Amino acid sequence: MERAAPTRATPLIRLEGGLKRREQGDGAFELEIPELLVFRGQIVAVFGESGCGKSTLLDLIALVMEPTRVACFEIDLAPDGPRLDLADLWRQHNEAAMAALRRDYFGYVLQTGGLLPFLSVRRNIMLPRTIKGLPAAAGQLDAVAERVGLSGYLDRYPDALSIGQRQRAAILRAIFHQPRLVLADEPTAAVDKARARSIMKDLQKLARADDVAVLIVTHDVDLIAESCDAAYTFDTGPQVAGTTRSVCRPVAPEHLR
Amino acid sequence: MNRPRSLRMIPALALANLRHEWILTLCLIIALAAVIAPLLVLLGLRHGTIETLRTQLVQDPVYRELRPSQTRDYPPEWFEQVGRWSEVKFLTPTILPLSSVVQILHPVSGQAELFDLVPTADGDPLLLENRGVIPREDEVVLTAESARRLGVNSGDELTVRVTRARGGRTELAESTLTVAAVLAARAGTLARIYAPLDFVLDVESYKEGYGAAHRGWPGASPEPYLSFDGAVLLLPEAMAPIDRTGLIINTGFARIAPLEAEDLEQMLGFALPAALHAYHLYSPGATVTPSSFRAVEQKLRGREASLLPWARVEVRGEGEAGNVSLIGLSLNESQSERLALPSLPWGGFSGRADDGERLLSVLLPGQDGMAMGALTAEGVEPVNFTLEPAGATTLDRPVVPVELLGVLRTAVERAVVFDPASQEFRMARGGYRGFRMYAADIDDVPELFERLRDMGIEVQAEVEIISRIQVLDAGLSRLFWLIATLGIGGGTAVLIASLYAAVERRRKDLGVLRLVGLARSSVFFFPIVQGAGLAALGLVAGFAGYASLALAINRAFADELEAGQRFCALPGGQVPVIVLTTLALAAAASLVAAWRTTRIDPAEVIRDQ
Repeated sequence: MERAAPTRATPLIRLEGGLKRREQGDGAFELEIPELLVFRGQIVAVFGESGCGKSTLLDLIALVMEPTRVACFEIDLAPDGPRLDLADLWRQHNEAAMAALRRDYFGYVLQTGGLLPFLSVRRNIMLPRTIKGLPAAAGQLDAVAERVGLSGYLDRYPDALSIGQRQRAAILRAIFHQPRLVLADEPTAAVDKARARSIMKDLQKLARADDVAVLIVTHDVDLIAESCDAAYTFDTGPQVAGTTRSVCRPVAPEHLR
Repeated sequence: MNRPRSLRMIPALALANLRHEWILTLCLIIALAAVIAPLLVLLGLRHGTIETLRTQLVQDPVYRELRPSQTRDYPPEWFEQVGRWSEVKFLTPTILPLSSVVQILHPVSGQAELFDLVPTADGDPLLLENRGVIPREDEVVLTAESARRLGVNSGDELTVRVTRARGGRTELAESTLTVAAVLAARAGTLARIYAPLDFVLDVESYKEGYGAAHRGWPGASPEPYLSFDGAVLLLPEAMAPIDRTGLIINTGFARIAPLEAEDLEQMLGFALPAALHAYHLYSPGATVTPSSFRAVEQKLRGREASLLPWARVEVRGEGEAGNVSLIGLSLNESQSERLALPSLPWGGFSGRADDGERLLSVLLPGQDGMAMGALTAEGVEPVNFTLEPAGATTLDRPVVPVELLGVLRTAVERAVVFDPASQEFRMARGGYRGFRMYAADIDDVPELFERLRDMGIEVQAEVEIISRIQVLDAGLSRLFWLIATLGIGGGTAVLIASLYAAVERRRKDLGVLRLVGLARSSVFFFPIVQGAGLAALGLVAGFAGYASLALAINRAFADELEAGQRFCALPGGQVPVIVLTTLALAAAASLVAAWRTTRIDPAEVIRDQ
């Protein structure tokens, strides 16, 4: 397995002193993120029990949820893009800028793939690329599809594919428009262990090849332990005065294995 | 960051979605077509022959006619004025009912039958809207009843006979006319024949004793009467005032006064002979006629008196010739002798205007006989005529028969024309005794009725039937619009509901579209494109349904239609209007759904797993 040397100098995503407070029912939930760093080409695992704040963290990184407060939240797109203060964008509520960031530099793998049922697999995969305005690169797609065992399925509709194939197609779609960061939320929740492992391998393979950072949210530590470069988990405290507090902390990947 | 690229992708995505869910799409198309097709048929019926038939029925000229209820005099200006009213579709003068009866010889039996002759003219709706044409000169149009009685058809020739009684004898004139058309039965059940106004007027004139030379009908011409401003009485002895009053009483003259010699010269151009006394007989503010002269002459019988009519008439020469002063004198031999004037070629006062050649003679002053060009006398209508020199006169102004001045004086009050061909003066036609009037629209009849009544003209119109027809027609129209509104409303509701439901159903997919980077403002158009696409396909299906329905309807009623008529037909010009309206409605209907898409947050898709 070939590993590209990630640039450690500046992280792709830096989030420091973040807090998200969500009122829920008669109580509240607070997620505290002292520091979260995602470097280029890194595979970062976020795991924990349900209700610990995994999804909230993913939403914050995906720029679809506004942090209640944050000391530093920035994305560094060097060498071919600017360094942007995301906290500032949230303060300005510059939705258009964040939508453009999501479109051009983010890829998403959803739990059930999130492929559009009315487009062929090929058009599904091409869609973010087309929206971003990149050339079609049909030959390249065939080559990549072959590597993940999807050749022959490109011109079918998603409902003709198995769940595993759909997840692979979703991964291709998340990655084929050359994003910097792929966000994957329980990408293997719907398949058995063996297939999940295989899908994870493919994701790792594609990410490494393109030097793309991947943030994987999962409750299955075993699955991710071998391939991740960094990991975060949560310490959830008891409810105090109606507020449940969860703190995100890094875990050394070695400890997971 | 609303990149146009993102917007450009929407139609393809939206249509791919429709194609993928083709069963649902098909259901929607069928639902739309089920609304559109009947609406098109309804519209087709409204524009097809059935509408033509309805209009014919509702706008039947019979209901649009206004008939005068009394006979009175309508001057030509009245026709000009009223004919310009916007509510009036057609107006023509008519003649007295009794004058309008003519005989037509039955082509087979040769028997004369009586028919009512009615004048017509261009634009007569009774003829044009009942399969007729407007008859030209020497043509007539028959009602169905007339054609049945005579056993004739369009193209046949008819002999029309006009009769009159004159001097105890019956005279008749005939013309051969061609039947230009036979009207449909609904134009009226009476045996009538329609002919150009000129022909009808000639028939009326003939019955009144006049001729129509261009038709070869003999008879008098309508000779103008003579009128004068007064008369000059010349007699050897002076008259006591009481004699003077006695002379004019009951004669039509109101005054008599001695006349100065110089006034006489001014009026009649000659000097007062020494032995004679002159008096001026007149009637202030009025004219006198030859009967007044006869009455005075009766009273002067046995005395050596000369009564000379006098009229002041303005005559203009051609171009710069200016006013021409004419002396009017008609003297018999004894009068010439008494007044010591040379005798005149036209002799004494005849009191009539019948001999045009005599009337237009002139004696010119001086030896050279100065030329007289065309002359014009002022009047109701200017009278143009030319005088024929008949010799010379010793007087200082041209001398004409006084009867000519009498004619020209009449022309000041009544229209007189000079016909150069027959060298005759004729009274121009006065007014007419009635009219035929049709309103432009059935709705105009009540207003026209009122306007005429305000003029003091009582008319009859089918006001009651009209109001009943209007109620019925308005009801049918309302029904049509009600059904159309229901249909359009139903179709719109189907679209609104189904597009909204589609957005709800595809919420996740739309969220994914937003997540992969399509702008909110682009996704907005997703349901709009789908709405327009569904409407377009619904239109295609709707038109197909309409075509087959219309074909079936037209087949079913084929027997009752004439060639080229279709019961159900959409005018070509309406199709783009229908298409654009439907697409616009569909786009409007999809706005709710479009708004709903913009409420979809891409975050939901990530979160709601």
